[in-house]
Amino acid sequence: MVTEQHDRSLEVVDIPINMGPQHPSTHGVFRMVLVLDGEVCKDVIPHIGYMHRGGEKLMEAMDFRQGIGYCDRTEYLAQFSAELGYVMAVERLMELEIPDRAEYIRVILTELNRLSSHFMFMGAFGIDAGVFATSFTYAFPQREYIQELFEEVTGDRLMYAYFRVGGLAWEVTDNFVQRVHEVLVHTRQGLRDLDELLTKNEIFMVRCQGIGAFTADQAIAYGLSGPMLRASGVPWDLRKDDPYSVYDRFTFEIPVGNHGDVYDRYLVRLEEMRQSVNIIEQALEQLPAEGPIVAEKLPRRLRTPPGEVYSKVEAPRGEWGVYLVSKGGDKPYRLKMRSPSFCNLSALREMCIGQFMADAVMILGSMDIVLCDVDR
Amino acid sequence: MMLLAAPAINIDNAFLSGILGLIAFTLVMTVGVMYATWYERKIVARMQYRLGPTRTGPFGLLQPIADTFKLLTKEDLRPATADFIAFEAAVFAIFIPALMVFVAVPFTADWYISAIPMSLLYILAVSGLSFIGFLLAGWGSDNKYALLGGMRAAAQLISYEIPMILALVAVVMVTSTLDVYQMILYQDTVPLIVWQPLAFGIFLIASVAEVERPPFDIPTGESEVAGGVFIEYSGIRWSMFQLSSYVNMYAFALLGAFVFLGGWEWPFGTDIGWGYQLLLTMVKMSFFIFFYLLIRATVPRLRVDQLMSYAWKVLIPLSLYQIVTNGFVIVYDLPDVAFLLFSGLGVAALVYSAAFIVKRGEPRRPLTMVPVRATAKAAPPAPAVAADVVVEGAAT
Amino acid sequence: MIGILRSLTQVVRVIGRKPVTIQYPEVHREIPNRDRAFPILLWDAPIDEPYCTGCHACERACPVECMTVVMKDNPKHATGESKRRKIIDEFWIDYGRCMRCNICVEVCNFEAIGMNNTWAGHELSRYDRKELVMDLDMLMSQSKAGKVDPGLRA
Repeated sequence: MVTEQHDRSLEVVDIPINMGPQHPSTHGVFRMVLVLDGEVCKDVIPHIGYMHRGGEKLMEAMDFRQGIGYCDRTEYLAQFSAELGYVMAVERLMELEIPDRAEYIRVILTELNRLSSHFMFMGAFGIDAGVFATSFTYAFPQREYIQELFEEVTGDRLMYAYFRVGGLAWEVTDNFVQRVHEVLVHTRQGLRDLDELLTKNEIFMVRCQGIGAFTADQAIAYGLSGPMLRASGVPWDLRKDDPYSVYDRFTFEIPVGNHGDVYDRYLVRLEEMRQSVNIIEQALEQLPAEGPIVAEKLPRRLRTPPGEVYSKVEAPRGEWGVYLVSKGGDKPYRLKMRSPSFCNLSALREMCIGQFMADAVMILGSMDIVLCDVDR
Repeated sequence: MMLLAAPAINIDNAFLSGILGLIAFTLVMTVGVMYATWYERKIVARMQYRLGPTRTGPFGLLQPIADTFKLLTKEDLRPATADFIAFEAAVFAIFIPALMVFVAVPFTADWYISAIPMSLLYILAVSGLSFIGFLLAGWGSDNKYALLGGMRAAAQLISYEIPMILALVAVVMVTSTLDVYQMILYQDTVPLIVWQPLAFGIFLIASVAEVERPPFDIPTGESEVAGGVFIEYSGIRWSMFQLSSYVNMYAFALLGAFVFLGGWEWPFGTDIGWGYQLLLTMVKMSFFIFFYLLIRATVPRLRVDQLMSYAWKVLIPLSLYQIVTNGFVIVYDLPDVAFLLFSGLGVAALVYSAAFIVKRGEPRRPLTMVPVRATAKAAPPAPAVAADVVVEGAAT
Repeated sequence: MIGILRSLTQVVRVIGRKPVTIQYPEVHREIPNRDRAFPILLWDAPIDEPYCTGCHACERACPVECMTVVMKDNPKHATGESKRRKIIDEFWIDYGRCMRCNICVEVCNFEAIGMNNTWAGHELSRYDRKELVMDLDMLMSQSKAGKVDPGLRA
């Protein structure tokens, strides 16, 4: 370059800039190479795999109870959704009938988990936008109340391993219903705080609106799911379109965006949290006071008949699917996780090209990826 | 501090007294900045459900000292490929102008390092130098993030210099002096914020941008350029950058307190003694500092193009409007209330200006809510549980 | 700027609220009964021996294979003090490996292992990974000293 300097002195070059895996806003060990023309991204090359642990293969060596722990560790912000997808796959293969009480508790916990996951999104997204941790500290104390409830019920703050094939590992605490109501009080307060802080803030709006917009067709073509898809205007929610568990017993609304940009994704998540509160309240009303929490005639050693099954749940990030092939016996022959983070991340390049570097951060933030879930 | 330069101790040589005053002032300012960080951390923590530093001494009061020791003893790294001269010079190119501003600042009626007849011009000229330091740091670090940050800083500082100077020009038109001291004396009955609220608003916004605090911290934006120009600096050099950033913050807070809030003059007059005057100055300055902290904890960062368009499309036209209306009032010799009238209209425009920027483009449509009806029958309901649980600490 | 003013009032409002910080090393949050820290072995105080018979059930069920169990003949069975024919000889759990899944507790037929539900089970920082491999004495010391929370589920 030095020798040719006089020739290229007026040449405009694009700067490839390496963002991650140790960049503050890449949400884990994600690395992307931005090709910048000044401040504008001309190309984005994502690099994933830093977190790859072979989780799917590991679970093929585990029996069906042992695998549950690995679900938690794959999707560590929506653990109950991940567990639910996995145990539902096994239950479908074994054709188990799950008692009502267990189903309701599962729904309550999964929706609470959705709240805690979206709180995490709200906090981290605010930081991506440049709020000095205020959104984070508004979201996190409220998330902590949910987490404390989970700890009381399951015994662990993060890796619950509470849903089991056929039901639940053990009965919930005696004051569970009251505790959930208490937690919801805090949740509503957190929602109000975040709403006041961010939603109508002009700078936040100007940073989010019109960025990373995806049409419905594009979103479907890229296989997006969850809030990303709904923000693009597709009213697709597995709780509505393919009701699993007892979701067909609740009345709620699904927020659908009209612009498909970052701001709509934020609004959709905010509204989803309100709907989750709504669902939890209904579930608490309908929750049978007592009853079994484990399916009848559950064998001590779980063995599935040969066959294959795909079970999917609406996780906070989108469709979490578990494809399970069994050749009989107590271990899966093949296990494939369809993780929403991975599929949503595939749209990153298309969304970022032509946007500013600062917007690339916002777009990545709006995807709400969990890197463990991407790399598995 | 300024005792050395004060009339009480007569040093005939103006140069010598200036130097001594500056040295004394630098030392005081360093301690002041150390405690500004403590104050900032405590206040921002309370805005965020936190406590801030508590471990070092009562209320964490020794935290700045611990930080200083940590920064001073840290290894001072320089990248192998960095441009030696630019890398080293950048620190001083930012640090020295930041402190030189205070040469012309009259802290009380008779406490100042040097009485410069056109002190406002001097302050603006010197504070405008710091962008060179940012460019040097950005270029010399040999780091792409630093380069981006340096370029952003240069563009931002130059852009926001203009509305700030124009806003102060409007004030100068009213007071018809360029001397900050005279401007303070002008405000013995009514502070200028009353007559020139628009100029005050523009000054406030532009000063946040000039000291590169959120929402205008794009040169150092943590979530984008990960520290920007400071990315390769560590130890004492990094802390000098931080020091000058805080010193700048003090400088603009003082300038705002003097020019718009009446400094030590309003409302008690010139003769209440230096102690009260200093206290008054500090109180007014704290108002600005608190505003900077509050805005830091509240708003997201602007994008670089939005930042520019806000300066060029909103602030500069509004400050020109302020100048024109001031001229109108002065030429036709209208009563002072006319200043307030015209300026107030401008403030209304400023308040709605952000909304104006947001609303360009297609109108937003709210979310569509797709209802989902329960299709299956629920299990028999459980015994009613009190839903209106009162939880301690969750009020409002 | 109206929205920004709303945000500002929200932030100012929070200044009046109580901070949520807990001064951790001095103040320990109360942890629930069901808390699952790392597994510990339980001590049968009346007979003065561990409950564990070294049956390898937990070792086999452990998903991360963090346990090593060695069984021996129980000397107290010979003297008639104990009904346990076999007893644990050596037991290692690598706490650095354990993923606290509770499966060992569920499979144990003798209620000999439980997930520690006190703070002692959480504050286990070590300078060396090797020190996280707990042997039989370490695993049983808490139960032997009677410091196990009564809510512990075995």
